Amino acid sequence: MSNRIYNVLFHTHTVSGIVISVALFVIFFAGSFSFFRDEIVGWERNEPIVETATLSDLDFDVLLDTLNQRHELQARDVAFTKYFDERRINVSLSASKDTTANEAARGRAFFYMDPETSDTYTYQSNYSIGEFLYRLHFFAQLNLWGTSGYLLAGLIAFFFLFAIITGVLVHWKKIVSNFYLFRPKASLKNLWTDAHTALGIIGLPYQFVYAVTGTCLIIGTSVMSPAVVTFMYDGDTNQLYEDFGFNPPHFAWANDPLTEVPSINALVERAEAKWEGFEIRNVEIFDYGDQNMHVGIEGRTHYDAKFAGRGEIVYHAATGEEVKVVNPFTATSYQNAVTAIITQLHFGDFGGMPLKAVYFILGIISCFVILSGVMIWLVARDKKNIPEKQRRFNAWVVWIYLGVCLSMFPATAITFLAVKFFLTTFDASRMTFIYQVFFYSWLVLSVFFTVKRDNYFTNKFTLLGGGILGMMVPVANGLVTGNWPWVTLPAGHIQIFAVDVFWICISIVALIIGWSLKKPTKQNKPTSRQKTNNHLSRGVDVTLSKEGSLQYLN
Amino acid sequence: MPANKKHLTTSKRQRFAKITAGFLGGYAVTVSLFMAIGFWVDHINVLMTLRFGGFMLWATLFLVAFLFRDGWKAWGVYLLCTLVFSGLIYIGKIYNPIV
Repeated sequence: MSNRIYNVLFHTHTVSGIVISVALFVIFFAGSFSFFRDEIVGWERNEPIVETATLSDLDFDVLLDTLNQRHELQARDVAFTKYFDERRINVSLSASKDTTANEAARGRAFFYMDPETSDTYTYQSNYSIGEFLYRLHFFAQLNLWGTSGYLLAGLIAFFFLFAIITGVLVHWKKIVSNFYLFRPKASLKNLWTDAHTALGIIGLPYQFVYAVTGTCLIIGTSVMSPAVVTFMYDGDTNQLYEDFGFNPPHFAWANDPLTEVPSINALVERAEAKWEGFEIRNVEIFDYGDQNMHVGIEGRTHYDAKFAGRGEIVYHAATGEEVKVVNPFTATSYQNAVTAIITQLHFGDFGGMPLKAVYFILGIISCFVILSGVMIWLVARDKKNIPEKQRRFNAWVVWIYLGVCLSMFPATAITFLAVKFFLTTFDASRMTFIYQVFFYSWLVLSVFFTVKRDNYFTNKFTLLGGGILGMMVPVANGLVTGNWPWVTLPAGHIQIFAVDVFWICISIVALIIGWSLKKPTKQNKPTSRQKTNNHLSRGVDVTLSKEGSLQYLN
Repeated sequence: MPANKKHLTTSKRQRFAKITAGFLGGYAVTVSLFMAIGFWVDHINVLMTLRFGGFMLWATLFLVAFLFRDGWKAWGVYLLCTLVFSGLIYIGKIYNPIV
């Protein structure tokens, strides 16, 4: 690589990295917590689930009966979906196809339902800190104009990919030798550089996967499809949806009510028995109570049976005939395989709790790589030949960056505590409450640490503060619900137990690091070579030769 | 150790040319290439690849734009590629239309 190319790549790496750093930190920090989204939700609501609980354990006939009394299901499509490993399921009702149906039945409905209590929740009352952190990691809260937040997150991920590629190229020649290099006692710049490159290389495959899958998931369709729709499909979006299977299947409504609705449970059991290792995620009933009623059952293979397998069966309800069958083990299309691989790699849900823990650690390492990059940027420009004004600007940038980034940890702990102590009802105020607690505490802490203008102080006290508050999270849970870790573990409430232990672990690590941080000596550069008599130049006092000194006023 | 300034673009117009060539031109090359292939190979698979592979190609083209000494030349090359791929799309629409 020529010297010119090296420097050009280096510069693009620096600029792209520093521009996205804070946003990328937020994405990685919130994203790392989101690996435990379902556990956090179970913890927050105190709704334990059995680890093996699947959608097929539900009694659909009873559920539909309940829903029928409340919503008049005749001629509607009803979908039950279990996106997450939590107790509540998503229920979606289409508008009734019967135009003579009453007003309410002619509208659509969507809500969350706890199958154990039959209680239903709206999006707001179902909101949780798990959902909040999950959505924060792709800036859903910034969707102020259309999907501006998603687009921003997508572009950040895209520039992250760019920074990864340039980073590897710049580092290519020394990729092996520098991996073994760590000089904590040398200058600060060497320390940050060694940490940045070594951890960057350790996390490289992980970060590459996240940059690609993240960009694909959040803007893969919105950024790539407009030209495709215009030039390949001549504006026919419907045909595109049809090609990619986005359109739900459509069945004609016979307008001929069944005398008795057949048992959905029996069909679900049949589907589950069809393939061993088939896990049902989605049950959809088309034209409920009609002669032409169909039941679509969709699911995926268990991860240990096959990594990427999506299966589907559609039954004609009255006759029990299989209208459509997609075998998850043999009939996986390229398209379904790609979707499955990308989402599973991104969600890290295929290896149970140990994999989530590894992914979390790698996520936090990525946060560190981002911040050490910012520190290199600062330290490398903190030189005598850089104008004082520029150096002050750089210092301010880093005070703000560190203040904003590191405050996220205590702010998250505060929100967990507030949710446990003060948020006991499931009404529409949940969402507002979580927003206010998190964003205001984050804002106050960020401003406080920025105004302190001391990176050491920010680092130490966000870790110590977050660690102490984090230690209180399991205590809060125990006090409020009585579900102490020694209660939840024997009871098999793994999700609640996991969140408590998770907070204990990260708090201990944060406290240890926070305690061991020593105030850096002001001057880290070797001082021995500096002349002690700075004010003298060749034996003459420099102040004397300066303009404005008394001599010149003569 | 900031990058050595003598190797970097100093002109504002050049910088603008390189950034836009990489971002917009790179996008145009990527999308037109995948579409052109899509008319001749199974288009669903090609478009699915575009959703993730497209970003890898785009990021690479973005990077390559900075390696040109003249940013407008990068624009020229990218526009030329886009034109060639557009030609393939045009022919593809005649012989293998999708809708």
